[in-house]
Amino acid sequence: MTTSIAIEVHDLSKRYGSGKGRSVLALDHVTLAIPSATIFGLLGPNGAGKTTLIKVLTGISDITAGTARVAGFDVQTESLQERARVGWVAAEVILDDDFSVWENLWLQAKLQDLRGWEERAAQLLKYFSLSDVRDEKTNHLSTGMRKKLEIALALLHQPEVIFMDEPTIGLDVGTRRMLWDIVTGVRKEFGVTILLTTHYIEEADILCDRVAIIDEGRIVAEGSPAELKARVHADLVELELSDGVDAAALRSIPGVQEVKSIGAGWQIRVASSEEFLPRLFAAIPTDHVRKISVEKPSLETVFLDLTGKRIGAEEPMGDIRKFYAQIRRARG
Amino acid sequence: MRSQFWGLYVREILRTFRNPFVILITVVQPFMWLAFFGSSFSEVPKTYLEGLFHTSDYISFLLPGVLSTSMLSVGMFGSMSTIQDKRFGFMKRILITPTSKELIFLSKAFGSATRGLVQIPVMVAAALAFGVTFSLSPLEWAAWILGLLFLALGFSSLFLAVTAPSTDWQTPGVVSNFITMPLMFASASLFPSQQFPSWMQAIASVNPVSFSALLGRGFVLGTGTNWWDLAYLALFAVAMTAIGYVVSARWLRVE
Repeated sequence: MTTSIAIEVHDLSKRYGSGKGRSVLALDHVTLAIPSATIFGLLGPNGAGKTTLIKVLTGISDITAGTARVAGFDVQTESLQERARVGWVAAEVILDDDFSVWENLWLQAKLQDLRGWEERAAQLLKYFSLSDVRDEKTNHLSTGMRKKLEIALALLHQPEVIFMDEPTIGLDVGTRRMLWDIVTGVRKEFGVTILLTTHYIEEADILCDRVAIIDEGRIVAEGSPAELKARVHADLVELELSDGVDAAALRSIPGVQEVKSIGAGWQIRVASSEEFLPRLFAAIPTDHVRKISVEKPSLETVFLDLTGKRIGAEEPMGDIRKFYAQIRRARG
Repeated sequence: MRSQFWGLYVREILRTFRNPFVILITVVQPFMWLAFFGSSFSEVPKTYLEGLFHTSDYISFLLPGVLSTSMLSVGMFGSMSTIQDKRFGFMKRILITPTSKELIFLSKAFGSATRGLVQIPVMVAAALAFGVTFSLSPLEWAAWILGLLFLALGFSSLFLAVTAPSTDWQTPGVVSNFITMPLMFASASLFPSQQFPSWMQAIASVNPVSFSALLGRGFVLGTGTNWWDLAYLALFAVAMTAIGYVVSARWLRVE
């Protein structure tokens, strides 16, 4: 069954723990409608609720309030039917390393209760250029090959939806770009809906048809990357000066929309950085400027605009499996 | 449902027996038991042995008991495998398919039990090497092996139920120490329970390890199979499997 809306989430909340001060609201009244055959990105910093949403949508976690349907099935009351129609690609590569490539496919076929899966498996191995290593143990494969195999496993039962939870976390730039090509290729070749979570701005921008920005469990904006960027009618200038200057002086420069103090410097929203910079240097001697950066509208500035903070650099990993995954990758 | 069970069961078996250390220990351990523990009474006068064990052949007396105590520890491996799956995310991979927690429990319990049963041919071969002779009655062989299967399944289920909510590597070891030691010594597996103090006799009289040891001893020593022992072990297996099934459905943690 193909639905025009592949994932439908309505007023969904998820609370971990109970009792005052001991519970965490990981998802706060989330509502989403994700069309079929799109690549939909969930962009937000670590701890924003991205992985929790995937856990809820795959039936791994219960829902505290609200409803969610995936591929036409309620994730709570029709969990088994739903799980037969979804695939999953983890942040870290999760394979059975005691098994060969083909044996991993065999196990996945058993778990999905598939008949006559061998032909499909052979096609997938060919598509992902893994045919030559089908009898190799998976721990002998490169990170890129392991990732490809994981996607092949997710596709074996011809799912309608694939969840990719931070699929490129910890990968080097080359492998990350290879994976982007694979994701777009998979959508085109197999027509599946892909919901991927990421905290990489560039990934969401390049890869996704639509993006929802999530922060502290709430969806704060949703649209195509172009639509989201168009919401921010401003460039962002970050400035650090050697001499003290007050906000009023900066605000008086024509074209300035907003001035905020951040640490030792200033963050200035301007209508056009090209027009603002000559005016700034006319008002303030150049040698007083210790540091300056200009950011054109991006998903990062959208996030900053909406939440007042940056998605930022990677935080220490709270998830031990992500740590193990990085260790495995580091070993090559 | 059968497909998922079979996939996970085969995975358990292959993962176990592709490990050369597991194969080595499986083969060596029975010989060590019989050689070291079995030989400890080799210099004891026969009349003393007959008075204590009702046989002069202590190795024949010991064999069913050692196999029964081996089944006690097999559950630990199923629990360890489950915790490994949770910690490395494989449990999530399994559960994001139409596979239920109950099926995962059953595959782990039967996988562990099968792992235990592999010790039977090795142990029998070791016993033959030490001069033990066996009845050729297929019915008695089947009853002995079935009894051991019930015992292994029961303890595997018990271990899996107790460790279902845990993700800590140490839990199976701690639970194993807590369960194995008292049940091994408060049973008729190594010594006749008639010599125990009354409180230990009370434990031994309901301890499934005793029932398995006595069932096997009747077969190996040729005194006849007690079918009530087998029935008790079947009841133990069914009860523990049912408890494990319910507990896993409710409390098996995914990560």
